Amino acid sequence: MFPPLYSASRVPGAAARSARRAAVGALAAAAVLLGVAACDGGATAQDTAVGNGSSFVTGSYSTTVYKLGARPQAPEVSGTTLTGARFRLSADRGSVVIMNFWGSWCTPCREEAPALGALARHFAGARVRFVGVDIRDDPASAEAFMRTFRIGYPSLNDPNDMVALDFSGTVPPSGIPTTLVIDRSGRVAARIVGPASYSGLMALITQAAAER
Amino acid sequence: MTRLRAPQEAVPDALAAQDGTSGSAGPESTAGSAGPESTAGSVGQDGTAEARTPRPGGVGLGVAGWLRWGWRQLTSMRTALILLFLLAAGSIPGSLLPQVGTNPAAVSQYYSSHPLLARIFGDLSLFNVFGAPWFAAVYILLFTSLVGCVLPRTLHLVGSARQPPPRAPGNLSRLPFAVSYTTALAPEAALEGAAKALSARRFRLRTGPGWVAAEKGYLREVGNLLFHIALLGLLVSIGLGGLFGYKADRLLVTGTSFSNTVTALDEFHPGRLVGPTDLQPFTVALDHFSASYVTSGPLTGQPSSFVASVRYSASPQDPMHSYSLSVNHPLVVDGVRVFLIGHGYAPTFRITDGTGHLVFEGAVPFIPVETAGLTSEGAIKVPDAEPEGLGFAGVFLPSAIDVGGRLESWFPAPEDPMVSLVSYEGNLGMNSGPPQSVYSLNTAGLHRLPITPRPLAIGQSMKLPDHLGTLTYTGYQQWVSLAITYDPGQTPALVSGIAVLAGLLLSFMVRRRRVFVRARTDEAGRTVVDLGGLPRSDAAGGFEEEFARLTAEISGLHQGRLDDDHNPPDLGPPDGE
Repeated sequence: MFPPLYSASRVPGAAARSARRAAVGALAAAAVLLGVAACDGGATAQDTAVGNGSSFVTGSYSTTVYKLGARPQAPEVSGTTLTGARFRLSADRGSVVIMNFWGSWCTPCREEAPALGALARHFAGARVRFVGVDIRDDPASAEAFMRTFRIGYPSLNDPNDMVALDFSGTVPPSGIPTTLVIDRSGRVAARIVGPASYSGLMALITQAAAER
Repeated sequence: MTRLRAPQEAVPDALAAQDGTSGSAGPESTAGSAGPESTAGSVGQDGTAEARTPRPGGVGLGVAGWLRWGWRQLTSMRTALILLFLLAAGSIPGSLLPQVGTNPAAVSQYYSSHPLLARIFGDLSLFNVFGAPWFAAVYILLFTSLVGCVLPRTLHLVGSARQPPPRAPGNLSRLPFAVSYTTALAPEAALEGAAKALSARRFRLRTGPGWVAAEKGYLREVGNLLFHIALLGLLVSIGLGGLFGYKADRLLVTGTSFSNTVTALDEFHPGRLVGPTDLQPFTVALDHFSASYVTSGPLTGQPSSFVASVRYSASPQDPMHSYSLSVNHPLVVDGVRVFLIGHGYAPTFRITDGTGHLVFEGAVPFIPVETAGLTSEGAIKVPDAEPEGLGFAGVFLPSAIDVGGRLESWFPAPEDPMVSLVSYEGNLGMNSGPPQSVYSLNTAGLHRLPITPRPLAIGQSMKLPDHLGTLTYTGYQQWVSLAITYDPGQTPALVSGIAVLAGLLLSFMVRRRRVFVRARTDEAGRTVVDLGGLPRSDAAGGFEEEFARLTAEISGLHQGRLDDDHNPPDLGPPDGE
């Protein structure tokens, strides 16, 4: 059963949860590296537009952890990164892969960016790969975003939403941002919809990295 | 029956009772007379029929009694009508108040401008009417009520359609149409001849000692049945759509594409049982959009046609196909309809920041604020510019003209497309905090740069003060907004709708009617043939002629054999006799 997006009753709860998580994430990130206190709550489940009502779907915030036997196989994902390099998910078999769907225009993505950048640096060299999937963005803005948040890992340029579509039968990203933790054998171990926290994602990565 | 009825219908009941077949003929005739147009009446009659059975005690009904009573109340057409009215009344706040599903920003605004009222409305789910528990209660009750009403009636009709004609009443002269004559034939031969004649006219026959009963017009019951089953089908189809369907919106700029996945959609309203994995994995690319407008006369500027040239594929493995999408001419992919519902302009910009980095290059959809010239508003956000974030808000004018120092657009087509922007620097508030519109700038953390906005033509640049950067207006693209709807109940609903009408027509146009024949030998040793006719529908139109024809044929048959016509048939209703 899929929780309804934009349900009025859900927004305050989601906001409170995300505020807590964001606060924890901010504290941890600050302690470890950046001292960013930007993520101080008040985020809600969606960014929206006045006018013609156009907006984007960010979904209800949630974290799903899949038990070892019940992990869906991640599809083969391939594409070109923002810097023009080829990427194949299957080439990273044997590593834990953190796949983050983001856009430079999306407020919760910017909220979680410091934590993701810090985690990528923390796990550098530990057979943990980070890869972003840039959605509905122009490459210039995306690169500026990566400079701002010191994101060192590559991001796939996905103007046709093909990567999201690859996941459509298994664990489709049900909002922006969505973060997938893919284990060493290429199965999805966890999915975070909404801004990932430093501590929360740290725990999920550590657990997946400890397997085998 | 305690109900007043048309005299000609009261007769068969009385007769049937005399004949000792009241058990089957009584309620059956009720069902036969009440067409689908008077379902309410039939339920009421069922109610009165039940009321005849003694209630358990005068005071206490018992649990089962109360349940039965409640069920009967719920499934009465009166309750269904009340629920239907409630459903309509309940959706009124949905159109008066902003709804979370369609305009969440307006809801938040309502909360800040009327905190107390908004809290009360929020508790009553008035901002999310169609997802409200009380709304669900109304439609679930309505559905139950209709199913509870229609289902037993359907079963009843099945029985009615399969029933043979009842036995012939004892006294045929009391029927609305009756004829009596004598014949030289033996009673058995007379009956046999009458039966043959009736059978030839496709009457359903039943014979007994000294009588023949015939009935025709069972197709009416088939129509009735079709109507009821189709009505159930219609309800189920609507339910299917609500559970498994979804609606979504997407704004698409020329030269770009998107796939039908939740992250690529601007709005997504799934049915109760729809999840992100259920979306059909199609891709749509917009190659070209053209709008034509009336160029002269009083309708100048009115759109005359919109065509979007798209390519699409049903899934990543499938090849791309081309399609011309226009208003009311949706693209259908994998059962999903994609409608063209709007269009506008997306000026393209190239922005470098103070450090010389390219920080933005692309199209920014602007939203039309008026239709005569398609003046559009929008915002460009560059939160990652260095040393300071940059923001621009302004207008796009497809056909710019200076009207006394004020910029206006005189025509919706891009005759002279210009932009005029106000520039800001500072914190765009996008790293955290409340949700933001993609189309407008939150100027709370920004301050306006001291440069006067001046209209830019394609290719012109605007250098920002204090070495903050440069913005170049490089051109424009057009965008379309697409409404994506998936309703698996649509085709079944259409088929059911047609079947409802067909059933209704059939049951209106076909009349059920009975003809009885009795033959006996009187004191004088002559064979007396009695013929009686009974139309079973309210609209007896035409039966009189049919009965006359039948009588003439049968009596002609009987007389003709003897070549004796001294006793012409005595036509007419029995009232005078």
